[in-house]
Amino acid sequence: MLEFDGLHKSFGDNHVLDGVGFTVAPGTMFGFCGSNGAGKTTTMRIAMGLVRPDAGAVRWQGHHLDQEIRRRIGYMPEERGLYPKMKVGEQVTYFARLHGLDAAAAARASEEWVSRLGLGERRGDPVEKLSLGNQQRVQLAAALVSRPEVLILDEPFSGLDPVGVDSLAEGLLDQVRQGVPVVFSSHQLDLVERLCDSVGILAGGSMVATGTVEELRRREAGRLLRVVVPDAAHGWAAGLPGVRVVSEQAGDTLLELAPGTDDQSVLAAALRTGRVRHFAWREPTLVELFREVVAAPGAPEAVAS
Amino acid sequence: MTAPGTPGSAALVRLVAGREVSTRIRDKTFLISSAVILLLVLGAVAFQVVIASGAGKVTVGVVGDRSALQPALQAEGKAVGADVTVVGLAGEAAARTALAAGDVDGALVVGSGGAPRLLVERKADPQLTATVQGAVGQLAIGRQLAQAGIDPLDVPQVGVTVVNPGTDPTGERTGIAIVGIIVLYTLLILMGQFVAQGVVEEKSTRVVELLLSTMRPWQLLAGKIIGLGLLGLAQIVAISVVGISGALLFDVVSLPGQLIGTVLTVVAWFVLGYAFYAAVFAAAASLVSRQEDLASVITPMTVLLVIGFFIALQSAGDPSGSLATVTSYIPGLSPLVMPVRMAAGAAAWWEVVLAVVLMLVAIALVVRLGGRIYAGALLRTSGKTKIREALRAERL
Repeated sequence: MLEFDGLHKSFGDNHVLDGVGFTVAPGTMFGFCGSNGAGKTTTMRIAMGLVRPDAGAVRWQGHHLDQEIRRRIGYMPEERGLYPKMKVGEQVTYFARLHGLDAAAAARASEEWVSRLGLGERRGDPVEKLSLGNQQRVQLAAALVSRPEVLILDEPFSGLDPVGVDSLAEGLLDQVRQGVPVVFSSHQLDLVERLCDSVGILAGGSMVATGTVEELRRREAGRLLRVVVPDAAHGWAAGLPGVRVVSEQAGDTLLELAPGTDDQSVLAAALRTGRVRHFAWREPTLVELFREVVAAPGAPEAVAS
Repeated sequence: MTAPGTPGSAALVRLVAGREVSTRIRDKTFLISSAVILLLVLGAVAFQVVIASGAGKVTVGVVGDRSALQPALQAEGKAVGADVTVVGLAGEAAARTALAAGDVDGALVVGSGGAPRLLVERKADPQLTATVQGAVGQLAIGRQLAQAGIDPLDVPQVGVTVVNPGTDPTGERTGIAIVGIIVLYTLLILMGQFVAQGVVEEKSTRVVELLLSTMRPWQLLAGKIIGLGLLGLAQIVAISVVGISGALLFDVVSLPGQLIGTVLTVVAWFVLGYAFYAAVFAAAASLVSRQEDLASVITPMTVLLVIGFFIALQSAGDPSGSLATVTSYIPGLSPLVMPVRMAAGAAAWWEVVLAVVLMLVAIALVVRLGGRIYAGALLRTSGKTKIREALRAERL
């Protein structure tokens, strides 16, 4: 398990992190969301030893992350960092060596990753000659080349075109299949929803929601039921016990059910009005969930774990 | 899945140093500056060769009877320190051809009545004129004395006694030290710039964040300084070897042992000076985040180097003066001034030891303090960091 445990950090009077904690199981992908300035980057930098936390710790398999363990972590910083004048192949080899591979193994791994990420022909070019998307791939190659046990990626998808996003996503899923826990931050919530086994939303310095997207939907957004009854009179559901009408337009009704309310009694009421064209739980998108928890950060609530 | 080993500090420092060397060795600035320094040193050797070969070798062509002139010219030449060769020429036309071809430095036309005439290509070398004038005059006096019935007198030779035999080789040593100081100064500036640019490059491209997730700031700093230092050392040693071989090959110096000693002194002071300035430049550079801001923080150090350089040049003329003496102890200035004083024989052994000890203490302080500033400022990638902020910043 990769555990982020009770991280606190202040810069002067600015309390950036106020008890951030979550865990990522091996072979799963964790999407780290939050508004700008919420503290995602600080959390990741603490894990990489670039910022010292005021309290709390990050552990991998029960051990505090130290320099030695960090060498087995693949990291992609938010602000990309590469030597602009160094050649692609040499650069990736250099980072492999810094992570502890010997010269021959580093050269082999660099060769392999550079061609796997479609940069085989650009191996001998200086990084500054590459397009931004390709530079991003080099950055990813630098993170993956040492076959890391853990991946921590800060905004890996930003600035990529849809094809680039797909190939990066495929690369990350491949790592997950090999049992690597992957943590990445992103503002592209559709992507997080599509790729991640679990999600954490950071707001106001703490995790306002963590869990699988499924769990977040159920617990965070209440229970929304969409019923389409074209023949019903307006206000058909108003009197049902435990039901609140969220919206109603020409029979297309959105209902919020209080906990314990039987959806079958709602169905029976709907059938009494005539035809029922649609009756289903409406799944809020992650974007809606995000807006909800970030807009009204109540008492922080850890859903899962 | 191959489990990568954990590189220790030495391995990391070696990796960083290796990258610095392999990057810089292909860098245009480095290659061009190396070539320029090498050319300057070779130029200095060549200059000495020309001076040495030009001085004291005179070829005089004589048109007419040279049986009496030849010994007279050679004797006269010896007196003014010239090695005179006399060649016979068929006539004035042949003399002009020989002059134009550079076979003779001057052609003396005698006989055919009237005063002897000296033909020269462009302008008469004073040594040549003196030799010819002396020889012709002596012959004329001898002839007139003989006509007057007086036997030529034996003119007493003036004996020369050297009272201060040390003076001359010292001048030579000082000259070598000056050439050495020029090279040392150039390399310190160059390597200091390389260190500073390297630090800012890593900060401005944010690659430092990736580096620091695998190593500590001091390992990065040590690798950088050691790598570029080895490169600078290799450069100064290569230049020294070329310079010394050239000097020995063309027989420019009179005492090869002293030449080598002085060069070794310069190389040793380079190592001390580099250690000092590299740490200072690195710490200064870590305070800024953009190459454009670099000049504002490293200019004070560069000015210190320039001042040291000019004091060193000045102290070549006055190696025992108070300016030279005082500055040869001041860390930062001593690597430039002390070699000159040592070469001039103006520094006692304890003075050298004192200067070295002071320098070592300064290096220890600068490395410690500079390392702290560097570690504190490295991850502050917005704008310019104040030294006090860097020292107070948390260290990783």
